[in-house]
Amino acid sequence: MTVGDVQQEQEPQPLTALEEPGGETVVGEPEQVRSEAGAQVANGPFTTRQLLRLDEALRIADQQTGLTFSVYIGELEVPTREHAERLHKQIEGADRAVLIAVSPNQRRLEIVTGNAARKRISDRDAKLAGLSMAASFAGGDLAGGVVSGIDQLASHAGRH
Amino acid sequence: MLVASLVLTGSDRSRRSRRYRPGRPYDFQPMWFLAAPERVHAQPALPGGHSSAPVLEAPIFEDSSGARVLPGPVGGASDSW
Repeated sequence: MTVGDVQQEQEPQPLTALEEPGGETVVGEPEQVRSEAGAQVANGPFTTRQLLRLDEALRIADQQTGLTFSVYIGELEVPTREHAERLHKQIEGADRAVLIAVSPNQRRLEIVTGNAARKRISDRDAKLAGLSMAASFAGGDLAGGVVSGIDQLASHAGRH
Repeated sequence: MLVASLVLTGSDRSRRSRRYRPGRPYDFQPMWFLAAPERVHAQPALPGGHSSAPVLEAPIFEDSSGARVLPGPVGGASDSW
């Protein structure tokens, strides 16, 4: 069963923070779309439909696996791996967290799994998901690649 | 005349495309997506902006296929396109 199969069973929850870690959600705070932060989201690389798909993928992955999935899209400091690991440490309960860090300008993708998450998602599984995501990115499908990667990683992790 | 005006209208080059295209500059602000945003806490910056580099470099492990296995408490993978 994939993440998408359980879509109908989920209870409604607050949607994803879109502009920065810890920020409010667009749906939960509609006035955001008129704020500076909201304008940043509106001027981001994704359409509203893509944002909703991404949010849904994250929520379902979290609920299905019990892990904390997170996506960072932006510039990474060199060495990119170390920067991605530092970002991963900022997530509460980093042991059970999975970070997908994408740098479109550098064309780099880093997947970081915490100690506990690594037992559910092996490095080989992460590499497979990374290959698939990179192929999507190379074709210009940023949102689709991320959503697909989340789905694959969650499927490898299995249910908790 | 009608065709020319339609072509000009259709090719609005001044409109910024939001779609990512490899090789073209990606100048959007960094974004972080989580299902539970409150689960991220800011990490205090190190004095001088130096990264917390390990004192000793960890060894590089490889699995049976020769693929690199990341040492340490975190795992994952890296890729590029």
